[in-house]
Amino acid sequence: MTKKKVTILNSSGLHARPSAALVKLASKFESEFYIHMYGYRINGKSILGVMTLAAEQGAELEFEVNGPDEEEAMESITELVNNKFGMHDE
Amino acid sequence: MEKLATQEISIKGLPGSEGIAIGDVLVIDNKKRKVQPKKINSESILSHLKSFAKSKQLFLKELDTLSTNLDTKTAGILETQKHIVSDVEIEKRINASIEVEQYSVDYSIYKVFNEFIERLRESGSELFQQRIVDIENIRDRLIGLSCENRNALIVEKGTILIVKDISPTDLIHYFEQGIGGLVMDKGGITSHAAIIAQSLGIPCLVSTKDAVSSSGLSKKAILDANNGELILNPSSQTTSDYKTAQKKEKRLRNAVAVTSKPSTTKDGKDFTIRANIEFVQELKLAKKFNATGIGLLRTEALLFGGIANKSESEQDKFYEEVLSKSEGEVTIRLFDVGGDKLISHTHEEANPFLGWRGIRMLLDEGEMFKSQLRSILKTAGKYPGRIKILVPMISFVEEIEEVRTELNILQDELKNQGFTVDEGVQLGVMIEVPSAALMADHIAKKVDFLSIGTNDLTQYTLAVDRGNERICSMYQHYHPAVWKLIQTSYDAAVNNGIQISVCGELAGDEIGAACLLGLGINDLSMSPSSIPKIKGLLIQRSQEELHKFSKAVLNCSTSEEVRELYRAWD
Repeated sequence: MTKKKVTILNSSGLHARPSAALVKLASKFESEFYIHMYGYRINGKSILGVMTLAAEQGAELEFEVNGPDEEEAMESITELVNNKFGMHDE
Repeated sequence: MEKLATQEISIKGLPGSEGIAIGDVLVIDNKKRKVQPKKINSESILSHLKSFAKSKQLFLKELDTLSTNLDTKTAGILETQKHIVSDVEIEKRINASIEVEQYSVDYSIYKVFNEFIERLRESGSELFQQRIVDIENIRDRLIGLSCENRNALIVEKGTILIVKDISPTDLIHYFEQGIGGLVMDKGGITSHAAIIAQSLGIPCLVSTKDAVSSSGLSKKAILDANNGELILNPSSQTTSDYKTAQKKEKRLRNAVAVTSKPSTTKDGKDFTIRANIEFVQELKLAKKFNATGIGLLRTEALLFGGIANKSESEQDKFYEEVLSKSEGEVTIRLFDVGGDKLISHTHEEANPFLGWRGIRMLLDEGEMFKSQLRSILKTAGKYPGRIKILVPMISFVEEIEEVRTELNILQDELKNQGFTVDEGVQLGVMIEVPSAALMADHIAKKVDFLSIGTNDLTQYTLAVDRGNERICSMYQHYHPAVWKLIQTSYDAAVNNGIQISVCGELAGDEIGAACLLGLGINDLSMSPSSIPKIKGLLIQRSQEELHKFSKAVLNCSTSEEVRELYRAWD
């Protein structure tokens, strides 16, 4: 199991489009992916789960990846978050 | 209540998508169907599971059909909806609710979605709260589909739809039937419905709170989404006022739409359209119509009131304001006074248009000339590459040499005083006197660009005082003689590898612009309000067509023949 803390950097937070991007990427990996925030542990492959965290800019989350390709998955997912989901801030 | 149907009622809301709609009212009071916690027996489990799978499939198919032919933003929203509909967690929980808890399909969908909605509601984040209505829409659509209760309501064209909220799929469905406007009691300006209404160009008002309950008996309404207002049962006076406003708005919208297209002829030849302005306030319209910079900044207004030597700091302020509020090149014309634009201390002349005006006066009135040039050069130093200086009423080559000398001296002085200067500041002249046009080849060697002032060029070529009423019919700017001088000036610019543009009225005239572009002059500057008309015309023609037209114009012998040619060509 790999765990890592990340901060949401893009201005609209984990809004619909960033959440969709996150879920799309996470679903490509075999490993299970969970996000911890405010005591919740949600399935990171569920867009509604991700969106309902209501994580705004600056929110701190903990990622948990569990499975055969967990390192690769963690690297890709955190990179996406750090790149502000490839979105230019509007 | 019956009385209310004839009274004008105003309801306020937030503009979700600008515009005005006038039409019949259709209220859809989509009171949520009561979804009861209904238990099912074990024999029905499979059919309820199948029903959920089927409704999901139908929804996804519907979203796929809608996704084609939409702009990226709207397509993005539908894409997100697809993700939500296919959410693994949702599927798992709904199936479990049906299979294990033995709840009906509709209640299972309702319950599972609500778990997420509740969490979003608790989050306290304003931005995320706005998403609730979107998720509720998906929930209700899925429930609707699972019960095969499709809401394919047919609406009349132009109808103003008044709803509590609406799903993107329903909105697009109504858009295809031609609804004129949308009023939504719920939702914020960032809700999906508002964003989609924007991209579809449907005027839309959101957060009206009680529009649905207030509109029950109304037949007609005006939706003024520009000012955030819904007017129910408008009087005939209000309706007629809004019809006028709507027409005006439509014209402007079409105009803006044209000007946002690339400036290229049908066969892909680029041209540039700039704005002629005199006051800072005009920059707004120039920007709205997507002018590529200012092709002519008139400066005479700085002299209004008869103060010949407007203080330099006031001039500095004016140029600074124009430069900071605009983009691209700004061609500043030096004071073009004299002639009909007399300033108080000038003496009366027998033939003012053939007298002490333009550069002739500037070179005599040394201080006024120097202070303007200094002010322009200081601003140019702050905005390198953006300012071009244009000299009016040149009729002798020597005049340019004098201006160039003065410009160099002032640049050196400014540098010595510690100012930054733009070493490459461009100097150009107006071609508006026949002698300048005929000598354009020589003039072109001494300047960085030429700009043809067609109003004066017409006046001086035809020897017609354009202010003289008795002979005003002889002031003909399509006169073939004028075209020949324009051709000569263009050839001179091309032969010497310098830029040439037209900043006179001919550029803002349909026949004029078509012919100028045909001759090869692809840099036109005009009053901002002329831009949509001229751009609309030029992008519809090919360079070859325009060239043929201009060749024919040069062979005409009268202005009337030019007009006739255009009519036949059009």
